[in-house]
Order: sequence, then structure tokens, then C-alpha cells
Amino acid sequence: MSSKRVTCSGCALLCDDIIVKSDGLYIDEVLGACLKGKERFDQVTAKNRIINPQIKKNGELEKVPFNEALNEAVNIIKNSSRPLLYGFSTVSCEAQLKGIELAKVINGFMDSNSVICQGRVLNKSKETGITLTTITEIINKADLLILWGANAAESIPRLLNKALFSRGKFRMTGREIKTLIVIDPVKTASFGVMGVRDIALQIETGKDIDLIRVLKEECCKADSIQDNGVAGIDKDDLKRLLLHLTGAENGVIFIGQGLLRPQTREDVIKELLELVQLINVKQQKGRISVLMLGGHYNMAGFDHVALSTFGKNHSLQFSNNCLIETSETIVSKIEKEDFDCSIIVGTDPVSHFPSILSKKLMKQPLILIDNKQSATSYVADVIFPSAITGIECGGLAYRIDHVPIELKKIINPPTNVDNDEKILNKIINALRGV
Amino acid sequence: MDMIVNTIRMIAYDQVREYSFGDNNSLKEKLGIGFINPEDFKKLNLKSSLNLRLTNNFGSVVIKPKEDKDVPIGTIIIPVSIWANQITGIENDELVYKNIRVSIEVTSDSVLGLKDILNSINE
Amino acid sequence: MELYKFLPKTNCKKCGKPTCMAFALDLLQGKVKVDDCTPLLELKYKKDYDKLKELLGADEGKEKELRIDVDTDLCDGCGICVTVCPVNARYCPPTLSGKAPDYPPEKHQLFQIKGGKCELLAIKYCRRIEAQGRERECRVCETYCPRDAVKIDYV
Repeated sequence: MSSKRVTCSGCALLCDDIIVKSDGLYIDEVLGACLKGKERFDQVTAKNRIINPQIKKNGELEKVPFNEALNEAVNIIKNSSRPLLYGFSTVSCEAQLKGIELAKVINGFMDSNSVICQGRVLNKSKETGITLTTITEIINKADLLILWGANAAESIPRLLNKALFSRGKFRMTGREIKTLIVIDPVKTASFGVMGVRDIALQIETGKDIDLIRVLKEECCKADSIQDNGVAGIDKDDLKRLLLHLTGAENGVIFIGQGLLRPQTREDVIKELLELVQLINVKQQKGRISVLMLGGHYNMAGFDHVALSTFGKNHSLQFSNNCLIETSETIVSKIEKEDFDCSIIVGTDPVSHFPSILSKKLMKQPLILIDNKQSATSYVADVIFPSAITGIECGGLAYRIDHVPIELKKIINPPTNVDNDEKILNKIINALRGV
Repeated sequence: MDMIVNTIRMIAYDQVREYSFGDNNSLKEKLGIGFINPEDFKKLNLKSSLNLRLTNNFGSVVIKPKEDKDVPIGTIIIPVSIWANQITGIENDELVYKNIRVSIEVTSDSVLGLKDILNSINE
Repeated sequence: MELYKFLPKTNCKKCGKPTCMAFALDLLQGKVKVDDCTPLLELKYKKDYDKLKELLGADEGKEKELRIDVDTDLCDGCGICVTVCPVNARYCPPTLSGKAPDYPPEKHQLFQIKGGKCELLAIKYCRRIEAQGRERECRVCETYCPRDAVKIDYV
């Protein structure tokens, strides 16, 4: 029984200080990982895990050998002219490159989970500019943390541990020297770490844009805030927020899903990035950075792979082996039913999309490549089981602060179960007739 | 009566855990729920044996209500799941997951299981 | 500290302890009795004396032990208790920057995260037992847990 330090692939933080006790065949104990990481390691021996390829015959799913499932998938793709590819945020970067090659061969439309999550901030930053930072800099230097529409305690449990409570090289007293501001309409678990100097702002739902506009005006001229505050926040709290923003030496704003989903036509992300640039120009000795909290462990990886290959990270439509311009998005493609088969890799759209979209997705043939049971696996036509990246096979992944980290193999996968890159390669070779 | 629905992520009510380690009963009990303020609970005359039906122009779903004093009055909090996505939708090519307006009524219908929900989507 | 409110707070040292706060801590643990504070027996402190006797009740003088409970239903394995504990910070260098400590655990380490939940290893090196003076009032693990899963108690 040996113990060694490995990297956890449970969420986008990719903690590299986890200790695993294993004898090469099974994993015995996991030390240092939070509940989400522990469940990722438990997926190896999950009760409902899919280990055999399956095909839907007469309305029921049946276990079949790999070659029969491969033939059925190739038949479905050859009988379609507008295939759709979606997912690619829980697979390694090498598998993402293979997915792009497959999309080129079959003239498909490809998109990943980051188009409804992290990728939107990168796209908006092309117009305004963005200031990024890394986790090590936050540990060593940050003295102001703002959680805006983000629930860090529920989506990434160890982020507050590393960012707020650690003692870095220049902040040796830890928690006492850092200030935390939480802006959220609902009182979530992130409010539980508040101290005496921290500010909790319960803003009214959907009114973040008003707060951002008032802060932009006040940055430019002398203080003249209205007496009745804005969006449910009173005047004193607003003054304290502005003082912290303009006086911090090194601040970070964490953006979450709460800021990405307004029901109005205004562009909240663009106004927030402009506010950050305005403060950075006006400040003399400090700066504010922005970080987007994402869920899956390689969402940032697809952005990097697509941006470095094509200069574009969403709505990749291929025709005759090259990329063409299109104004469609994944949402508009599914809503107009402008596709006739779909290949889903590593995600569960039937559970995540609104039911209007999943109804249209279920009408066409669906091929699934995944390593766990989900709602999509009940309605798929062909299922290929794959190995778990980070435990049963290796690969490259990108963290939430866009730092590349190498994942290593710890134990062997079950017999006859390949990793995502090999499965996609076999499909490409079968289509080319090799 | 009208209320506002917010869907949030919770570690204690996680759909990936229930799909991999649980069964159909535990899925329904852990994810087909909604949290409301105790004052709203009293105003609607709810009991532990009754459920709530939420309806809007995107769809309709039945959930089991629970009390939580940290929820603002007039709001329902639902964990992210396939039950919550029966009432979310699209507007102007954008996905809408927060701040959704629904009309509610107290009912004695039971919460649907996973197979029934998939069948009802297919119709 | 509720017991400290009813003491004279003069730090006269007639009971043998350096401060009234240290006397209050020993009173809670049952190492001394209320009568050991001689200024309390005077007439002007009679109300405080009666209130102290009423608060302690039959537990006065009974030896109590420190117990730290971790509720495993509420804990989500965030590791904040491992990072803030001053004993962990002194003897396990990785916890200073928020990392998980080495394995096998050093003998002074108090908390470790195993299987996604917090686990208490050895209580005898906790500050509330070993230290003197103001460090004995250490309650950081209970204060900073975001889910209120750690509780300090005397039984």
C-alpha cells in the first residue's frame, strides 16, 4: 500500500495536493479532498456505472459487443447530413482535438458547455479587455474578495479555504487582513464565513445592472450618492463598497451564474468589465481582476484549444474541411430542429437544458460517449462507455485561472473500456473505411 | 397566486450523486423539492401530505415543499435537476434559469418519477 | 463567556489564578468552586454569587473534559478547520497556504479530511488544554466553519 500526491478532477479548481492510498488495483483512501472530489473517486465503483456498449432495440437498451455498436453509430452518421456535436468539457484536451477532427470529417456543427458558461466572458472581453489573475497570486497577495452572483461554498467548496483563510507570503496574518463582500439576492451558504469587517449585500433580483451603472458614475465624479440607495442597498453600504473597490491593493471579483442570466436585454458582463477597466485606470497603486467560476474540470480547455486553432470558441460549423461563418448558436439550432443526429460527449443535456430543448433533442438519433449513468443514457440510441480521466487515464486540463495541469493515471480501467480519445479515433477510422 | 422561482446548485441535493449511487425512489425524494419561507407555508395552508403544482408558459411540474427561514418571502428555491427544468425556458435565444415567474396551486397529486417525466417530455 | 460577567473582574489574584478570565475557565471545567473567590462572599456581590450558584447548579466542582464534536451530516469537506487551527499551522507547513497536510499525520495534527468529511485525530494538543493565558480561549474552528458543523463542549 503506497500513498502519493495526485490531482483531483472533481471540479474546475484541480487541487494538486490530494493524497491517495492505493495498491495499483483499487483506491483505498482519499485524504484532503472535499465531498465533490471524493464522489469523483467513488465513480470507479459506482453501483449504476455503465461498462458495456449498448444499442436501443425495440425500445429497450441491450448490451452488445463493441464492433456492433460501432457499426450502428457509423450507419446513423452516414444517413444524416446535418450532425450536431455537443459537450467536450469533461474530457482531456487531446480528446477535444480528436472531436474537432471528427466534426471536420462529417461536416458537423460543434459547440461545448462553455458557450452557456465561462466562454461568454472571454467573448465579451474582446471588446473591452480583461485583467486575469492566478490562484497563487490570490493566496499570496489579495486583500479584497468579492463574490458577485456566485455561490462558492456550494459549487467549489475549497475555494474559500485557499483564497480567504490561507497565509500567503505577503499576507501572513491570513483572515484578519482580507475583506470579503458577498452580493447575492438569496442568503446562501457563502454568507456563513462573514466576519466583523465584511459586508453582506442582499441585492434585489435582476437589478445588478443598476448597481454597476451607479458605481461607474461615482468613479468619475465626487461623492453625491442618492439618499435612498439603489437596488435595495442603502447609501452607507454603497459608500463602503466604493471605498473598498478604489482603495484595494489587490482585489478579485468572482463572477457566477447569477450574473449571466438576466431577463433583460442589457449586457451585464460588458458593463462589469468596463467598470473594472475604469477602476484600474484610476487607481495608482493597486488593481482589480476578474475570475469566472465554472463547473466542469476542463471547460477552459476547450476555449484554449478552439481559440488557438481557429480564433473562435463557439458555433464551429464545418463544410468541406474548413470553418465557415454562421450566426446560429446551439440553442437556435436545436430550437429550429436544424439537425438530424447528435453526438454527445461527457455531458447530460436532457437534465441540464430546459424541457423545450430536450424534447427536440430526443426526437432525433442520439449517440452518447460517457462514463456514468444519467438521464441522457435512458433515451440514447447508442452508448459507448469510457474511462474516467484523471484516475483511469491521463490527459491535459486547464484550471479556472487558465493554467494547464497534467492529469496522471492511478489505476487501470475495467477490461475493454477505452478512453474518449481512442473511441473517437475508432469512429473516425471506421468512417474513412480504414 | 404568483411567485418567483430561482434554481441554485446545492451539494446536499446533487443530481450526479443520485444518478450514480441512488435509485428511482431516492432521485424523486431528493430532487423533486422546493424551499419556501415558513410564512408562505402558513399562508397557503400547506401540510406535510400536500404538494405544489407550478405552471407557466414553458410547462408545469409538481414538487414537494419544505420550510427554510433564509428564503425571502414570495420566492421558491429549487435545486438544479430535470424537475426544475420543466419550467425553465428560452427567451431571445438565451437560456432562462433564474427569476422565473410561475403561478402556484396546492394539490394532492404526487411527484413524478424519472421514467414518467421522460415520457411526458416525449409527448 | 457568561460566567465571566458575574465575577468581580478586578484580577486581585486572591484565588491563586493570574486573571478573572482564567478563574472563569477553570470554574467551567470544574477545577475550582465558586467559594474559592473570596471577594464574592462579601455583601455587595451577593446577587452575582447567587446567580453563579444557579448557573452552575449541581455541576459545580465536577471535573469536566473538553469534547469537540463534528457533525458529519453538515460537513462538506472544505478544509477550513485544518487551515485555521493554530496547532496545525505551527507543526504542518503545507497548511499555511491552504494545502492538505502530509501523510502519515504528524503527532500534533488535530484535524484531517478523510473521505470528504472532517475527522478529529487527537485532542490532547488543542490550545484549550495546553496553553496558558489568552490562548486558552481559542475557538477558531467553531467560529469559522461555514456550515456550523464543529461544536466545542465540556462534559
